[in-house]
Parts: sequence; structure tokens; C-alpha cells
Amino acid sequence: MSVVDTPTRPPRGSAPHRPEHAARPRRRRDRTPWLLAAPTLLLLAALLGYPMVKMVELSFQNMRLRELISGRAPAWVGLDNYTRVLSDSVFWSVVLRTVAFTAVSVIVSVLFGLGIALLMRRVARGVRLLMMVAMMFVWALPQLVAAQIFRWITDSDFGVINYLIDKLPGVDYQNHSWFVSPAQGWLVITTLVVWAGIPFLAITLNAGLTQVPKELIEAATVDGASAWQVLRSITLPMLKPLIVIVTTLSVIWNFGLFVQNWVLRDSHPEPAFQTLATYSYTQAFGQSRYSLGAAISVITVLLMLGVMAFYIRQMFKIGEVD
Amino acid sequence: MKRTIAAAAALTATLIVTAACGSKSENTPTTSASGPVDGKGKTVKVWLMVDAQTAWKGVVDDASKRFTAATGAQVNVEYQQWANHLTKLDATLAGSDVPDVVELGNTEFPKYVFSGAFGAINPADYENSGTWLQGLKGACDFEGKTYCVPYYAGARVLIYRTDLFKKAGISAPPKTYDEFLADADKLQAAQKNAKFGAVYMPGQYWYAAMSWVKSTGGDIAKQEGEKWVGQLSQPASVQGLQRWVDMVKKYSHADVTKNENEQAGIFAQGQAGMFYGNGWEQGSAEQIRKDPNDPNSPLVDTKVKGKLAAAPMPEVPSFLGGSNLGVTEKSANKQLAAQWIKYFTDSTAMAGLIKASALPNSTALLDKAATENPAIAPAALAAKSSWFTPNAEKWADVEKGNVLQTMLTDVLTGKKSVADGAKWADEQLNTTLNES
Repeated sequence: MSVVDTPTRPPRGSAPHRPEHAARPRRRRDRTPWLLAAPTLLLLAALLGYPMVKMVELSFQNMRLRELISGRAPAWVGLDNYTRVLSDSVFWSVVLRTVAFTAVSVIVSVLFGLGIALLMRRVARGVRLLMMVAMMFVWALPQLVAAQIFRWITDSDFGVINYLIDKLPGVDYQNHSWFVSPAQGWLVITTLVVWAGIPFLAITLNAGLTQVPKELIEAATVDGASAWQVLRSITLPMLKPLIVIVTTLSVIWNFGLFVQNWVLRDSHPEPAFQTLATYSYTQAFGQSRYSLGAAISVITVLLMLGVMAFYIRQMFKIGEVD
Repeated sequence: MKRTIAAAAALTATLIVTAACGSKSENTPTTSASGPVDGKGKTVKVWLMVDAQTAWKGVVDDASKRFTAATGAQVNVEYQQWANHLTKLDATLAGSDVPDVVELGNTEFPKYVFSGAFGAINPADYENSGTWLQGLKGACDFEGKTYCVPYYAGARVLIYRTDLFKKAGISAPPKTYDEFLADADKLQAAQKNAKFGAVYMPGQYWYAAMSWVKSTGGDIAKQEGEKWVGQLSQPASVQGLQRWVDMVKKYSHADVTKNENEQAGIFAQGQAGMFYGNGWEQGSAEQIRKDPNDPNSPLVDTKVKGKLAAAPMPEVPSFLGGSNLGVTEKSANKQLAAQWIKYFTDSTAMAGLIKASALPNSTALLDKAATENPAIAPAALAAKSSWFTPNAEKWADVEKGNVLQTMLTDVLTGKKSVADGAKWADEQLNTTLNES
């Protein structure tokens, strides 16, 4: 929800700015841009704006199964849902868990992505091509399928990972359950998310690296700079805008974690495996607390707003440089 | 003065809202299933769960044929999957094009009956209604009216390996709980394999754990006045829970984070001596479909084919699982829908279910079932001493909230003691069951 919300903003924000930067003398009054944008704006209003408004409305009501089935208007309850959510310690532990997971998974995937992108610049062309193709396959795999495959791999009774670890001398991993301890369970979930996230990061950053002028690096090397110094003082600063963008995007995506923990926990995640998205879904659709679920979603959107604002600002910054 | 007026206004508003909520059942007329109905050109839409498709599709087709002959109406049966079927139902019931007949699990029914999803029916219109299984019928009752028709039941039994019993020198299934434990010891002793567990009991199998709670006189929750009160931390419940936990820890190598959904398949791998399952799970353990996604593919024997037998679990009352059928409140063909249910739950249909190893909906038919189909005799016997989940509006939310499953995993992994786990579960039950 939070991810798809972003596109509504750029047109609105950019419209007043453009005339000031534009070299053309035509100012104000010109409605052509608005007319051209109108179909998109209308579509966005219908597909995103309306549901958003409805969701916010729902979060101030008390919609339960009875109201849903009978079509009777749910009662207005003011801020009740919000006070209930915000004063619930379970909710806050879910928020903390989601934030912690996002931080860890984003840092690990960006580091791996960057590492692989740098490696791709060093290897022979054929190998690079091979790496690309392999990552494209990972990228092309739908999340649901990937999660299901990981579930089978880590299954305690039939999983191949237990079988392999069990082959190590002196290790008994038969029937080992990966989800008894939250730490191990999250290790599996994070591995899946990082594994699926790397292709986008590596391929994008690799594309960014091709833009770093060879001459600069050569000059630095001639001047006696070590590889580490080249990376820190030339490559990374040039790559920074791109890194910031892909990191912010990863934050937005990983913050909304749903499919991976949902599937790995067989559609009923234990409290230790709930994230904001699954928690809101369980509340709304599992327990028919539709309004409470809506309130949680609204809070999630508000929490993400800071990150999204940052992302949009970065987008504009890049636009201005060009 | 102003404050008094405001308070009075608030009070009036509350009263109006309460009155509006309370008036639900009085104005819903009961749908009759007796007398002729002309259904020419009409189609009754039926949602059954997938079990009917895989195990007794013939019974469904036969009932529909007899229904069509009598009323002239057509029947369109759609089979649903258990996973997330409620989410689909909620979305459908919110619209206007709804199925006329819906099957739900008996523990799922109360929430929908309380929410006004189903119309009242007249029990006298249905065969065997005087002897309907209480565990099924209980879910249909609300404010003196009946909102669904019992369909079929399943009772859980002890399924064991006859070959391993013989090898361990055990000649008959256990008659008492102590014998059951002694047999488990013997099975364990006769096996050199360290992976072998005398009992396969997954950690989140709450129907089993709660059956053990019932075996010592404990309970999940009970109604005190208007309020539901969790009973798991009462001494009798804790005792039963402890008994289950001790047994699982000693004899089971099953994953403590799994539920019972895959137990027959896992048991078929041959690494366990006994498991606790629905009567028909003996068959699922002995034979599987060659292509699990195709219900018409040929059956293949597993490692344990011909080596299994079932018996009632001694001294442990069985949870009575099963399904009911209801006529949706929004249905445009209520009378026809009720008539279809009448045909699908009559003695002819029940005889078909018995043949397919499901338990019939009536105590009067249980003995018949036991003699006609020896495979379900233990289950039929177990069904006579059975229990059912609290008949509370919000019970389904307890299941969806994973309250009992989480508690069991926490206790088995040692994260909580039995007493602490039970106390925590009671707190969750009290909140969820009493929520307005």
C-alpha cells in the first residue's frame, strides 16, 4: 500500500516547481501540462485515492463481520481503534521487530549487492554474463514460489537442508525445526529476502559502476592510491545517489514484509514471526477486525511517510543534477 | 446541567444502538424445507469443502439428482479449500451474489451464526434431527433457534503399527492410559533406531492437547453469566496439559512448530509407532495419490500399507470435528437451499458417508456405522465420548489468533512452564472471547 502511494506525489509536487526552472518564457495560465496529466491523475485518484480515503474512514469506524455481511453502516468510534492499537504492547513489539528486520535485511542486501556489483566489474565478460543470467533467474522467480521453495528446503521432516547438515560428522540435524527459535527462524526469512533482493541491487549498482569514468580511477592508481582508497574516495561518492535510492527502495519493500514470513510459517505466523503487514492482515481478515486492521495500515503508512519523502527528495535531486 | 443533558444524550444513543443490535433474530423468519417448491429454471449454488469432492462425490451427485427430480431446480456445487476459505467467504457474503448453501467446520459456525450470516431453519424438517450429534448441533444453536444442519463428523483415534506392536510383544491395543504409556515404552525399547519416536505428536496439535485437558476434567473456557472465562490455568486443566506435555516430550520426535495437517504423510515414513488422528487418516497414511494435485490419479501404497490399525484413545475423550450446512441469510432461494440440505443429510446420504468412512450426523446412526464399516468402528466408538470447543461467538478468532498453538509451542520448547503458558492462554481467551 505504502509503495504504490508514491506515484501520486511527484506530479503534484513538481508542477509548481517546473516553471521556475524552465527556460521557456511561457508561465502560468498554461493548462496543457495539467490536461496531459489529467488521465493519469484521474486513474490514480480512482485506483489509489478512493481506497485510501475509504481505508482512513474505516479506521474511525467499528466494522466487524456483522456489519460486513448485513451491509449496515458501521458505528463511528472516533479514535478508539488508534488508542487501542497504540496502547497495545503487542503492536509495539511488532513495530520494533519490523524495524529491526528492515534494518538488518537492507544493510546485508545492499552490502552483498554492492560487493557483487564490484566483483562483476572485475571478472571476465563471459563470467559477468553468467552472473547476470543467474541473477535474472532469481529476480524472475515470483516471491510466493521462492518462499514456498524455502519452506520445503527448511522443512523439519523432509527438508534438504537438514539432510545435508546431518551428513556432517558429529552433527545431528535430523528433524531439526528451524522455527522453534525466533533467531533461527528470522535467519531463514532474512536469507530468503536478501537472496531475492540481491539481483536488483547488484544489477542496478553494476550499471551505476559503468558510469564511473575509468580515467579517474587510472589517475588515482597512478598517483599511488590503493584499491580501498579508490573505492572510498572515487567510486562510492560517485555511486552515492544511486546507493541512496536503492537503499530507500529496499527499506520501503522490506518494511512491508508479508509473503516470506507468511508462507514460511504456513499461513499462521506465531507472534514472534509477525510483521506489521501480517499483523494488520491477521487482525483484519483473520479476526474480522476490519477497522482495527485499517488503523494499523494507516499507522504503517504514516511510519513510512518519512522514508518516502526522503526517497522522493532524492529523486528530485537527481533530476536537478541532470 | 449541561453535563446531565450530554450524559442523557449519550445514554439514549447507547440504548438505541443496543436495541438495534438486539433485535436481530426476532425478525428473521424460519426457512421451511417441507412441502413442494417449484424450482424450475432456478439453480441452487452450494459451497462444499474439498473433502466431499475427494471422498464422497458420489453422495453429493446422488443427493443433487434426487433434489432435482423433486423440485426441478438445478444444483451447482463448488468445492472449497480449507486454507483461507473463510476469507473468501467473508468477501463473498459482503456482496449480493452469494452461495445458497455453505458448509463450514463446526468450530467456525458460531461466529457466522452470531453475525447473522445464516438464516434459521426448522430442525423437524430434517431426518434424524432428534438425534443429531451434540458436538455438531451445538454450533447451530443461537437464542432458541437453529441456524444450521449437522453434516458429518470425525472423531480422533489412536492409529498404530501392528507389526511394531507385535515385535515389541504387545498383543492388543491399550485399554487404559497407563497401558498406552507402557506400550510406548515397549515400542521405544524394541527399536534400536535413535530417530524412532513411539508417538508422532506435532507440537501445535491443539485438538489433541485439549483432549488431554478434558481427560483430567479440565476445560478450555466456560461461560459465567455474560462473560467467558478461560479455564486452562485451573488445576484440572494444568494437570491434563502437563500429562500431554510429558508424553510428547518423552515419546515424540515431531516438529513442535507443526500442526497435524501433514501427520499421516509423515507417519507413513515409518519413524513412529503410533499417532492420534481422524479415523480416515489411517487410509491417508497407508495410501497416497500418485499425483497429490490430482484427486483422480491412482493410489500408491506407502511403507506402512497393511500395517496399521485403529483403536479409541483410552481415557481421552475425542474432539468431535466435523461440518455443518447452513442456508445463507442473503440467499434468494432459501427454500430450495433448505430442501437440498434435506436430501444431502437424509439417511440415504448418510449411508453413503458411512461407506466413505465419515461419521454420520446422528447418534442413532453411529452403531449402524460401526457394524457396516469396521474401518470407522473405533471412531464411531470414540464419537460417543466426545467434546466440543466453547460455543462462543468469538471462538473462531481464538483459532485464527493461534492462541492455543502458540501456547503449546512455548511450553514444549521450555520458553514457558505449563502453568505460565496456561495463564497466558487464559488471558488471551478472556480478551478475545469477550471482545464486543
